[in-house]
This record gives sequence, C-alpha cells and structure tokens, in this order.
Amino acid sequence: MAYGDVVVLDDVDLTAAAGEIVALTGVNGVGKSTLLTCIVGFRRPAAGTVSVLGGPPRDDAAFWRSVAIVADQPTWYPGLTVRELLELVRMTHQPLRGWCLPADELIEIFGLTARADASPLSLSSGQRQRLSLAAVLARPSRLLLLDEPEQSLDAGFRLELATLLREQYAANGGTLVMATHDHDFAMTAGARIVPLAEGRIAEGLVAEEHEGITGPVL
Amino acid sequence: MYVVGFTLVIVGIYGSDFLASPLRRLSQPVTHAAATHAAATQAVAGAGLVIGVGVGLLLLAQALGPLALSPADASWLLLTPLARRQVLRRAALSVALLATVAGALLGVLGLAMAGPYLRLAGSGLPGSWLFLSAVAGAGCCLAAVAAEALAQPGDRPRAVIRAVCIAVAVIAMAGAVAGERWSAITRAVTDVFGGLSTPVFNTAALVALALAAVAWVLLWQRLASFPAGVLRSDSARSGRALLAAQYLNFSLLFWIAEDNHWRGRLLRSRPWPKLPPALALAWADWRRLGRRPGPLVILAGAAVIPALLGVAVTGRVHTVLIAAALIGGAFAAGTQGITATKRDQDDPALLRLLGVGPGQALVARAALPSLLSGCWLAIALAVLCAAGTLHGWVWPLLGLAAGPGLTAGILRMARTARINPADRGPDTPMGSTPPWLISRMLSVIVAVIGTVALVHALLKGEAHATTVIDQCVASVIVLWAYVMIARALSR
Repeated sequence: MAYGDVVVLDDVDLTAAAGEIVALTGVNGVGKSTLLTCIVGFRRPAAGTVSVLGGPPRDDAAFWRSVAIVADQPTWYPGLTVRELLELVRMTHQPLRGWCLPADELIEIFGLTARADASPLSLSSGQRQRLSLAAVLARPSRLLLLDEPEQSLDAGFRLELATLLREQYAANGGTLVMATHDHDFAMTAGARIVPLAEGRIAEGLVAEEHEGITGPVL
Repeated sequence: MYVVGFTLVIVGIYGSDFLASPLRRLSQPVTHAAATHAAATQAVAGAGLVIGVGVGLLLLAQALGPLALSPADASWLLLTPLARRQVLRRAALSVALLATVAGALLGVLGLAMAGPYLRLAGSGLPGSWLFLSAVAGAGCCLAAVAAEALAQPGDRPRAVIRAVCIAVAVIAMAGAVAGERWSAITRAVTDVFGGLSTPVFNTAALVALALAAVAWVLLWQRLASFPAGVLRSDSARSGRALLAAQYLNFSLLFWIAEDNHWRGRLLRSRPWPKLPPALALAWADWRRLGRRPGPLVILAGAAVIPALLGVAVTGRVHTVLIAAALIGGAFAAGTQGITATKRDQDDPALLRLLGVGPGQALVARAALPSLLSGCWLAIALAVLCAAGTLHGWVWPLLGLAAGPGLTAGILRMARTARINPADRGPDTPMGSTPPWLISRMLSVIVAVIGTVALVHALLKGEAHATTVIDQCVASVIVLWAYVMIARALSR
C-alpha cells in the first residue's frame, strides 16, 4: 500500500478469527489507520489480497451490515439529537440479527444521558468519541474496526469500554481490529497485540520500542 | 488567475450592459410619457429589488462576522498583548470601505430605479440628487454594518437584526411583486417618489451620515474590548466560508451555515417511524430541514426574484435572464437539502455505519433536493404567471417536474471530491483551467440538461401539457443516469 512514492504498508499478513480482538500498535505514521481502511476497502492495496468474511471487501449494503468502522475524526449528520442518531442507526439495520445494545442502554453506558437531546456538534470531543463508539454498538456487526478508540476518552472510561468490548462484543462472536496507542486499553480488552514498524508486522519486537508499551507484546 | 480575470470581465460587461438602462434614464430628458403603468411598475419593482439586494448584503455581512480576521491573525494576534483595537483596526476599516462603496452604489441605483417619477416633480434631475443619494446609501449601509458589528458578540441582538432584515426584505419584495398586478400599490409608492425634493434628499443624507457617525464612534470604542472568543469563532467560520466561496463550493457553504446553526442547540428527540433503510435516510433529511425553517422562508421569499429581474431593471422581459435566475435559484434551494450527501462523501464511514449501500443512499438523498428545487421552481413560475410575465396554468407543474432533473447537477456538485487548489487542469487559450472549475461547470451543465424542457419552454415563452411530460422524462433519465454513473465510478 503506497501514497504516491511513499510505501506505507508492505508484506503485511494478518488473520483475525471470529470473536478475536486484535490491536495494531506502532508509532505515528506506521500505517495502522491505512491498514484499517484497506481492510474495509476504502483503499485498495497495490498488491496482495484482502479477505473479509470470506471475500474481498465490497461497497454494498450487505457488506456494511456485517462490518462497522469508527474512523479517525468522525462526523455526524446535523440537526438530529444523540438519541435520534443512535435510533436511526438501529432502524436502518432492522431486523437486528446479532448482538447489539438498545439506544437507551448505550446512552447510559456511554455517559450521554444529560446530552441525549443535544446535537452532536454541541458535544465535547470526548463525548463525540463516546457517541461514535456507541453508534457502532447500536447495530449488529461481525467485524468491527476502531481507529484509536481511546482518543479523547478519560482513563476510567477507557477501561470500561475495553471491558465492554471483551465481555460483550467479542464474547458474542464479534471480531474487533483496532489501531491504538494505549497498551493498557488493549490489554484490558484482551487483545492480541500486533506491532507495526516501518510498514511491516514487527513480530517479536519488545514493548519498549513501541511507545511505552511495557512487557513482551507477542 | 486568467480564468478568474476572464470571468470577471465577462460579468462586468454583461452587468454594466444590464445596468446601463436604468442609469441612462437619469440622463434622458424629462417626459411625462414616463408616467405609464409599465414605468410605474418598473420603478416600484426596481426599488424593491434594490432594498432586497441591500438587505441580502447585510445578511451576508452578518454571516461573515462582519468583523473577522484572517485565520492566521485570529490564531496568533488575538492571543498576544497587542491592543485589541490595533489588531482589529484594519478589519474594521476594510468593512467600512466595502460598506461605503456598496451603499453608495445602491443609493445611486435606487435613484435610477425611481428616476422617471422623481423627475415628474421638477424640470430635471439635479446633479446634487445623485451625490446625495450616494451619500445617503453609504451612510445607511455604514450605520447598518456598524450595528451588526456591535451586535456581533450577542446571540440575541444578532437574531433581532437578522429578523429585521428578513422582515424588510419580505415587505419590499412582496410590495414590488404585488405592484406589478395592483396599480394602487404602484400609485402609492410613485406618489412618494414624486414628492421627493432637494430638502428631503439633504435631510436623508444628513440623517444617514449622523447615524453612521454615531454607530462607528460606538464601534470604535467597543473595538478595544471586543471579545476574543467571538472573533476566533467568527474568523474561523468566515475564513472557511470565503475559501468555499472562492472555489464555488456551495454545498460546503451550506454545511458551514448548518454547523453554525446547530452548535449549542438543544432539541427534542422524537421517535422514528418504521421505514426501510433508504427511506429512513430521506426521512432524516426531511426532519433536519423541518427543524430549521428559516432558510426555507428566505428561499420562498427569494422566489419572487426572477419576476423582478429584467422587468425591474430594464423594463423588458429578459427570458435568458429569467431562465438563469430560475435555474440558479432552484439550484440554491436544492442545495439546502444536500448537506448530508456532502457528509456521506467526505466521511465514507458515516454512511456505512447505517448499513445502506451507496447507490440506495444516493437515491434516498435525491428526494429532498428534488422536492426543494421542484417546489421552488413551481413557486417562482407561479409568481411569474401572477405578475403576467408567463401565461398558463402549466408552468408551476413544469417547475415541479424539473426538480429531479436539476437534482442530478446538485448531487454531482455536492459529491465532488475535495479540492486540491494545486491541481493543474488542461491548458486553454485563457491559461490552465483548474479542475475544480471544470467540475463545477459540469455540474451546472448536468443541471441544465436535466431541465432541458423547462429551459426550452422559457426561451420560447410557452409551455403545454406535453412540455410537462417531456420534462418528467428528461428528469427521470438524467437523474437515473447520474446515479448509475456515480455508482459505477465509486466501485
């Protein structure tokens, strides 16, 4: 995978099983977000294959009913409230087949009760991130991709989120691949940590080389 | 640069040719033959149009600040120990200069519109009236802009000024259009014009200057403690808006306006009706628009503009001008409904979150702009019929039928990829044409193709039931073709 002449990812071989959580780690610019966008088909690799749920990523309704992504710097449709947005996500996925949480429960879990009738534009950056994460859990999915889910979240809620992902999303068969800089978050989520370095999976690298992650990563 | 320069020259040539007619009236010898109903209608409509343009400029100034700094200055200079007035002085003087020029032009144009009736009161048009009109116009505009700047830090004063501007525009435009039908209105207004004299002009100019002076003294004092927070947010917004305007990125302009509107608002959550996914998207668009009726009211008011153009300025019906105003107005109306489309385009994860395929989503997103542009065209054509410019009951139906065809161009413009100003386009005799300009022009061409039957009927000046059927067919084909091509290209 390259941007112009700059090769971002090269010789990456990654497999994730059903119910598994995979955490991509590495320094800024190493290709974590690019790998996520390749997995969902937003970018096409120059060489090699990407197989998601048994086939190449497709840009159609059937694919997106199984795959969900929270990208970096998410945006929102204007003029709708937090609750309406969550309910809209659930409605467009009817009939709901698979694990997901109702809007009321998500609002409570994600600490948005006081802002349920607010426009997302009125939320703080941390609340907007909570809303983005709540939205992907408002609908069923077999594969969930999160780009730095910990960003703007307070330390306490990061751990609550990691527990929720491990004990509910993954325990119900969902596969999660995330790019993260927070080792504690990844460990609490029970993730298999995949460090990236210079566009490759750096198997066997020790944690000190990866942004303060302590202990062996593989 | 060449392309922008060339465009400005062309606009200047056509604009001056267009305005030459009313300005010529000021230098022609006085004849009482001017006191016909047609001339009276023209004077009233012209005056209404000038007021409408003035109010529109004030609303635009408010949307941009009116006091704003460049993004770099707002980021750095506001946070330094420099005196706030010193930082803002240049911006304030620029606003004052623009207001003076615009006000003076509107003053002269207003005089030109009312020209024939002014001169009925005397033997000729005194040269001093021209000067005094310019002074009065400049003074009024300066005072109004200063009032807007004084109100800039407060949400409530801003809303009050906006409401007053809209009310004035609605009254002026409604009076102007009604004057084309009911002679009592034109008589009342032209009687006022006829009663104007040099003392009245002197008084108007003096009062306007006094108001401007008071407002600007107050503003100058206020500059020393103008709140930085307001300046930072307004400067960021106006910087983005001017950049969007520079690249004719109309959908981004509406996006900025919407973000500005919704920020900090509390709404009341309502349950969704049970709908299929694609229809749910269309319903969400409709709900969002219904919560923000202000632009719809302004759009409905703006539907009288095609009826005023041409007749008001030159006294003749300009079919090309009317067609251009109709297509442009309907394009603007439809663009109100595509901010969600632009978000779908700019953030691919957002639409996918809803699990709706891009093709289905595009069809769903076409519903609201089709309805908006179709309804706007229907209203504007009905006004043209009411004013006597067009004849027959079929025109409003033709407008409704043209909505979906026009929407193909609107969607295309909204879905244009982000602009890279550094991209070079094909070389032409005018220089390198930037790709963004080509893309914008293609969107307009698609819109015109989608409304081909309407445009043809407007240029001919007649429409029949078969024209409506032709337009329906054209709309369906163009919109369908656009959705298919867009879907194929995104694969």
